[in-house]
Amino acid sequence: MQEFFIKLGKAETYQKLFKEPLTYVAGAMLLAVLNIAHFAVLNGGWGVTSPFVSWGAWVVKLFGVDVSGWNYFSESARKTLANGFLMDGGSIRNVGIIFGALLATLYASQFKIKKIKSGRQVVAAILGGLMMGYGARMASGCNIGALFTGTASLSFSGWIFALCLLIGAYFGSKLLAKYFM
Amino acid sequence: MAEFTLDCLGEACPVPLMKTQKKMESMAVGDVLIVSIDHSCAMKNVPEWARNQGYNVEIEEVDDGEWELIIEKTK
Repeated sequence: MQEFFIKLGKAETYQKLFKEPLTYVAGAMLLAVLNIAHFAVLNGGWGVTSPFVSWGAWVVKLFGVDVSGWNYFSESARKTLANGFLMDGGSIRNVGIIFGALLATLYASQFKIKKIKSGRQVVAAILGGLMMGYGARMASGCNIGALFTGTASLSFSGWIFALCLLIGAYFGSKLLAKYFM
Repeated sequence: MAEFTLDCLGEACPVPLMKTQKKMESMAVGDVLIVSIDHSCAMKNVPEWARNQGYNVEIEEVDDGEWELIIEKTK
């Protein structure tokens, strides 16, 4: 059995399909096809962060806090909250992305639990995550919902988002160089 | 012909690339740098950069999700 897997691991088809990164063009083509499929199935462009708000709302609801009356939520967002996790296509899609990423790394036999290098890394990851999450909700989208889907649907706001993303990335990389080099 | 190592295990993009660039700068022509990484996107962008510089690059998969990049500063 082990011999079989060692042989399989060396097979060229396996290497090409599961181990080597896709070319940029192949990745772009796949994203385009998937975004069209997303539009057909869920009646909207691809996004990622909108369901995170629902997830947060459902979590605090477990502790008895009801946020669905907040002005932030639109009529349709309130409906999503009321219908619950299993009725929300976006939530299922996000779980699918995480699960798919796990499968892909297992297929490539590259799964590894990485060690934490420093406390500084932990602080930066938590702070960065909070800022990105908050920013994405204030901007009504992340680099998928606002940039990828925005530009693909010929929305000018996608390009404004791209410009602001570049400015943010410039300052972010300066901070990175200052604190992590 | 000195040999250097750089431990980038547990570091995410773009830190491995930035550290490699900085380290290569301080090395002399003919020196070799061995970079340990466990971030698959660094496995793409570090060799890409090094090859663009004209350096010799070899990639070795040492464990599940762990690689050693052997970069020779050729010029």
